[in-house]
Amino acid sequence: MGAHEMFGQLLTWTPYLLGGFALNILISLVAMLIGTGIGWTLAALRLSAHPRRVRVSLILTEFSRSIPTIVFQFYLAFMLPAEILLPFSKTIINFPVWIKASLALAIAVIGFTSDNLTIAMDQWKKGNHNAAFLFIPSWTSYALIIVMASSTASIIGVSELLSRCNTVINATGDTQLMLPIYLYACLFFFCFCYPLTMLMKKISRTLAKSLLPKN
Amino acid sequence: MKRYAVFQFLFNILLFCTVGHLSLCHAQAVSAVDSSVPAAHSDRLALIRERGAIIIGVKTDYAPYGMLNNAGAPVGFEHDLAEDIATRLGVKLRKVSVTGSNRLQKLQDGTVDLVLATTGDTAERRKIATMIEPGYYASGVTLFMRPDAPIKNWTDTRSKPVCATQGSYFNRAMQQRYLMDLQMYNNDRDAKLAVKDGRCIGYLFDDTAVNNDLASPEWRGYKAPLPATLNTPWSIAISMKEKGTEFEQLLGDIVADWHRSGFLQEKEKSWGIPPSKFLSQTDALWQKMDDDGQPYCRRMRDGQWRAECRNQVFLTSADVGGLAQLGLWLNEATGINLTPVYDSFDRAQFLHGLVVSVFLTFLCIVCSLLFGWIGAVCGESGVFLLAPLARCGATLGRMTPPLLSIYLIFFGLGSVLSKAWGISLPAFAVVVGCLSIYTGAGVMTAILEAAAAYRLQHPDFQLRFTNAWQLARLASGSVTASLINVSKATMMASVIAVPELLSATTTIIAERGNVGVMMNILLLVFLALVFVVVRTLRYLEQKMLVKVA
Repeated sequence: MGAHEMFGQLLTWTPYLLGGFALNILISLVAMLIGTGIGWTLAALRLSAHPRRVRVSLILTEFSRSIPTIVFQFYLAFMLPAEILLPFSKTIINFPVWIKASLALAIAVIGFTSDNLTIAMDQWKKGNHNAAFLFIPSWTSYALIIVMASSTASIIGVSELLSRCNTVINATGDTQLMLPIYLYACLFFFCFCYPLTMLMKKISRTLAKSLLPKN
Repeated sequence: MKRYAVFQFLFNILLFCTVGHLSLCHAQAVSAVDSSVPAAHSDRLALIRERGAIIIGVKTDYAPYGMLNNAGAPVGFEHDLAEDIATRLGVKLRKVSVTGSNRLQKLQDGTVDLVLATTGDTAERRKIATMIEPGYYASGVTLFMRPDAPIKNWTDTRSKPVCATQGSYFNRAMQQRYLMDLQMYNNDRDAKLAVKDGRCIGYLFDDTAVNNDLASPEWRGYKAPLPATLNTPWSIAISMKEKGTEFEQLLGDIVADWHRSGFLQEKEKSWGIPPSKFLSQTDALWQKMDDDGQPYCRRMRDGQWRAECRNQVFLTSADVGGLAQLGLWLNEATGINLTPVYDSFDRAQFLHGLVVSVFLTFLCIVCSLLFGWIGAVCGESGVFLLAPLARCGATLGRMTPPLLSIYLIFFGLGSVLSKAWGISLPAFAVVVGCLSIYTGAGVMTAILEAAAAYRLQHPDFQLRFTNAWQLARLASGSVTASLINVSKATMMASVIAVPELLSATTTIIAERGNVGVMMNILLLVFLALVFVVVRTLRYLEQKMLVKVA
C-alpha cells in the first residue's frame, strides 16, 4: 500500500472517526458533570461542623478513590439493565451503554472533586478567592485524563474512537492500515489535549503569581 | 506463553493441596456399594413385556439423527439406538414420529413408552419428565458464520448483531453472557439468509444442526469455528411416574453399556457424524476401572450413579461432599452460585487470574518508577538531544491513552514486525510496557516539577541518579497517586488476552452464567487489591520520608 493510498483511506474515514471522538468527549463531559455534582456534596459534607457527616463523606471519598473504573464499567454493563420500566407508568428509560461508561468514570471524578474542592472551598471561605480558582485549571486537567480514560469504553462495546478504529480495520480487511490508523487516533487525542494542557498551565501560573504579593 | 510455564508450575503446587484434599472428601462420601440395587416395580415395563413391543418416539426431521431415507423409511443415529433397546428387551419395536414441540406431551399422555428424540436434559424438562442418566449424546450452541467473518472467539460477539431463532433455550443465556445484540427470526431459514446477506455476523444454533448445514453444498465455505458452549446432554425421556422404577434403572444400564462398549461412537461413525468431544470424554469416563476392578461409574447405595458420572448441572448438595457440598447447598438455599469457591476448575482459573493481576500490578509499579526516575534525570541532564527527547517523550506518553498504545504496539507494530521479521510480541510485556510508559511519564513530570520547586531554594541543584532522594518530600505525594492509578488500570490487559482477573471472571461467567455473583466477587477482590496497594505504598512512602529526613 502506497503512502498516497493510505492517506486517501484515512481521509475517507475521518468523519466517522471524528464522530467516535465526539462520543469520547461526550462520555467524559457527562462523567465530569455527574462526578462533580456528587463530589461537591461530599466536599460540602467534609467541611461541615458535624463530625459524623465528615466521617461519612471521608469513607465515601475513600471508596470512590479505590474503585477501579474499568472493573466498575464491566460491573455496570453486566448488572444494569439496558432499559428500565418506570413504576406506575409506561415510560421506558433507555440505558445506552455509553451512559454506563460515563457513570463508571464519574466514580473517579467524585473522589477527585471531593478532595480538591474541599481545599478550594476552604480557601474561598478564608477569602483567598484566587487560590480557590486554582480548582478550575486542575479540574480541566483532570477532565483531559478522563477523556483519555474514556477510550476504555470500547471494551464494553461503546462505538467511540478506538472501537471505530477497529471497525475500520475490520471493514477494509487491510491489516497494513492498523499502524497508521492507531497513530492517527493518537494524533486526535494529542491535538485535543496538548493545547488545553498548555492553556491550563498558563492560567494556573497566572493565578499562582497573583497569589504571591499577598503572601 | 513460555514465560507463564514456571509461574503455572508454582501455582499448581500451591493448588495441589486444596484439590487433593477435596478428592479425599469425595472418596469418603462414596464408599463402594453393590451394583444390583432393588428398584420399584414398573407398570410401564410390565405393559411393554405383555404387549411384546415397545413404542418409541423418534424424530424424522433432524438429519442424520432421525430422518426419512430416499424410500421414505425412518432411519438415523437415534433409530439405531431405539432398535438396540428393543433387541435387549426382547420385544418388537414400534416407532412413532414426534417433533420438538410434542415429544414430551406424547410421553405424558402415554402414546409412547419412551422418547428418544434429541431431547436436551434441562432443568425445565426434568419438571415434566424423567430424564435417564447418563445422556447418550450432547449438543451445544455455536455460531454459523459467513466465510469472511472476522469473529475468533465468543467475546468478539459483544454488542454485535447476532441472528437467532425465537424460543431456543439458550438465547437468553447467551445474550447475558456475551452481551450480544440478538436479532430474533421466526425460523432457521430466515436466520441463515440474514447471515448470508450480512445483516448479522452469524446464526446462533445447535452445533449438531449447524454441522449438518456446513456439510451441504448450499453453504460451501461457511464456517462455525467457535467452540460449542452451553453443552447439554441428550437423554432418553420416560414418564414422570416412572421415576425410581426398574424401568428407569434398566434404561440407565443400557445407556451405560453403550458408553462402555463404544457402541455410540461406532454408530456416530457409521452415520458420518464428525466425532463429538462429549462421546469420547464420556466413553472414557465410563470405561474407567477402579483399583478393585469394578467400574468407576457404578450405582451407589441409593441406586444413583456415582456423582462424578452424573450430569453435573443437576447434582444436589446431597450427592457430593466437602466444599462442593457447602457451595451447592448455598446455591440451592439462596441462588448464590459461588463456583470459584467450590468448583476446583473455576477456583484454579480465578486464583491464576489473581496471581497474574498481582504480578502485573507489581511489575507496572516498579517499571513506572524506573521509567519516571530515568526519564527525569535524562530530562534534567541538559545533554544535547537526550534532554529534549525525554521531555517530548513524557508529553506524548501522557497524552496517549494507555489502551490505545496497547493496541498500537500489540496489533499495529506487531503486524509490521511479524510480516517483516516473523517476530511476535509477548502480550504480558506489551501491557507492562504501555502502562509503565503512561504512568512513568506522570511520575517523571512530578519529579521535574519537584526539581523546579526545589531550585527556588537551592538554585544550583542539578538532578542526578544519586541525588533524586532530595526531592522525595516534594514529589512523593503525586508519585504515589500515579502508582495507585496504575494498579487500577491493569485490567486493560484482558483486551489482548492476558489471563488476568477480569478475563478469568468473564470466562467463568460465560460458562456458568452466574453474572451477579462473579461481578460482585470481582469488584470486592479488586477493592481489596487496590486497598493493599494503597496501604503498602503509603507505608513505604512514610518509611522513605523518615529515612530522608
